[in-house]
Amino acid sequence: MGVHSCRHNLTIEMNENHHISFSVRRVLAIATNTLIDLTRQKVFYFVLIFALSLIGSSVFMARFSFQQEFQILKDVALGAMSIFTSLLAIIATARLIPQDVEDRTVYTILAKPVPRFEYVLGRLAGVLLLLAISTLIMSVMFLVVLYGREQAVLHETARQMSSLPHEQLEDALRAVRSSALNIDILPGIGLIFVKACLLASLTLFVSTFATTNIFAIVVMVVVYFIGHLQATAREYWLQQSNLGWLKRAFLALVALTFPDLQAFNLVDDIVAGAAIPLTLFLNVAGLGVFYIAIYTLLAAVVFYGKEL
Amino acid sequence: MNGPAVAVTGLTKVFPVPFRRQSIVAVRGLDLRVKPGEVYGLLGPNGSGKSTTLKIVLGLVCPTRGQTEIFGRDSRLVESREAVGFLPENPYFYKFLTGTETLRFFGQLGGLSGVSLKKRVDEMLELVGLTDARDRRLRGYSKGMLQRIGLAQALINEPKLVVLDEPTAGVDPAGSRQIRDLIVDLRRRGITVLLSSHLLAQVQEVCDRVGILANGMLVREGRLEELIAVENQTELVLENASGKLVNEIEVLAANSGAKLVARRQSTTTLERLFLEATGNDQARMTNDK
Repeated sequence: MGVHSCRHNLTIEMNENHHISFSVRRVLAIATNTLIDLTRQKVFYFVLIFALSLIGSSVFMARFSFQQEFQILKDVALGAMSIFTSLLAIIATARLIPQDVEDRTVYTILAKPVPRFEYVLGRLAGVLLLLAISTLIMSVMFLVVLYGREQAVLHETARQMSSLPHEQLEDALRAVRSSALNIDILPGIGLIFVKACLLASLTLFVSTFATTNIFAIVVMVVVYFIGHLQATAREYWLQQSNLGWLKRAFLALVALTFPDLQAFNLVDDIVAGAAIPLTLFLNVAGLGVFYIAIYTLLAAVVFYGKEL
Repeated sequence: MNGPAVAVTGLTKVFPVPFRRQSIVAVRGLDLRVKPGEVYGLLGPNGSGKSTTLKIVLGLVCPTRGQTEIFGRDSRLVESREAVGFLPENPYFYKFLTGTETLRFFGQLGGLSGVSLKKRVDEMLELVGLTDARDRRLRGYSKGMLQRIGLAQALINEPKLVVLDEPTAGVDPAGSRQIRDLIVDLRRRGITVLLSSHLLAQVQEVCDRVGILANGMLVREGRLEELIAVENQTELVLENASGKLVNEIEVLAANSGAKLVARRQSTTTLERLFLEATGNDQARMTNDK
């Protein structure tokens, strides 16, 4: 199978040789290379250390009741994770393709038998690996801090209520445990990761037609804010009774083009202790994966026709 | 393999300029053939269309009109690059990778893996004289070292065609000599080399045929010795010849109807003098047995 790399001739041809049109090994090579390149740059460490510091420092925040303490800890930690994974996704991805084109490194890569979409996919996969590692490190830090505080509060509660009946003590300890670590934290973290991956894939798409990484970052900052505000703005406008068809069509276009990033934010529900339904998690995660696939495809299409 | 290694037919490339009426014609109706196993030099001044032609041959840029093929395969097909190694002008690689990691990466892109990849990486580092610097990150490499690692990545997948865009630009005389020795060795091994340059004296030593581009058109092409030969002149270089002998030769020439145009002491080249003075008069890169 042969794939032409020119915009006006995206046809597939049979040939007598057995060149592998899609090679997972090549994509993994590019992904690994991307990961190594990114993890050896200072920006990764600055962002990660800052996030870990913020998560760790939440332990020292003002305490009232243990419920409030755990709420603050979860709010700050998950909020930090959300912001910093989003930041990392945009910053790490924005420079990949424009820098390769500017340095002409892309010539040496594409002069090998590497289809352009494998290059795009490999670069994205490297960033997703970076985000997975970062999310994991931040999650471990958060859970260790939360567990540590939970154990401290349990110990203090048991000491203070040692003279009370056993049933009362058990109730109190159960209340502490349900306020601290609960299973609903995990889907919340999962959606933070999916949101970061979505931002990375959208940044990659923007970077395929951006000439500099600064331009890509600026566009993504605007998209980030639109993504978080559009649901609220849309609901407000749709409540207007005199909204014409043109404005409705425009709102629909914005809703389709810009992902509703607020949908990936379950921090408030987690902090309030609400259970996260599995169907909600699967729907939102599925939507995220759908957007990631679409933006990656768009990036591959634009890069196919790009004059290098 | 009977056909040419590289075939360019009717190639035209026009770059549109946004908001302007007149576009830039980088290449106009170019036809050329590179035979398998030869060293072909694509020469020309800056802006003559050399790099654009090479990029189209490699499928990195689409032609406006015409066609390019590598060993009979349309160069727009990704698989046409399986047998190709490319060194771009002023190569720039990922500076946070070491020399070994860089070669491993490009070897993997070409389909190498495992033990054969490791072996090939070691061979290439040895070939370009970078074994001692293999674990140093590329940010610490000099210009010449970057050029050499670039050559290594171009050769790591044992290509049948090597494309070099200004391979000696910005490289010191010793490095330039090593690159030219390598090109000669590639020819000895039957590998086709297509190189572009505007450093004519350096290219003169290695090319079998040259094509000269100007304003996107091929203005001269042919075997080097034929192109640069002055038709009606012959050179003789004599060692230990006395003044009397030289005078006799001059008289003999005059009696035969010929004319002695110039009589001067043979000179070395400034490059050889530089290499001898700096102790680089032997090629550092080893040739394959």
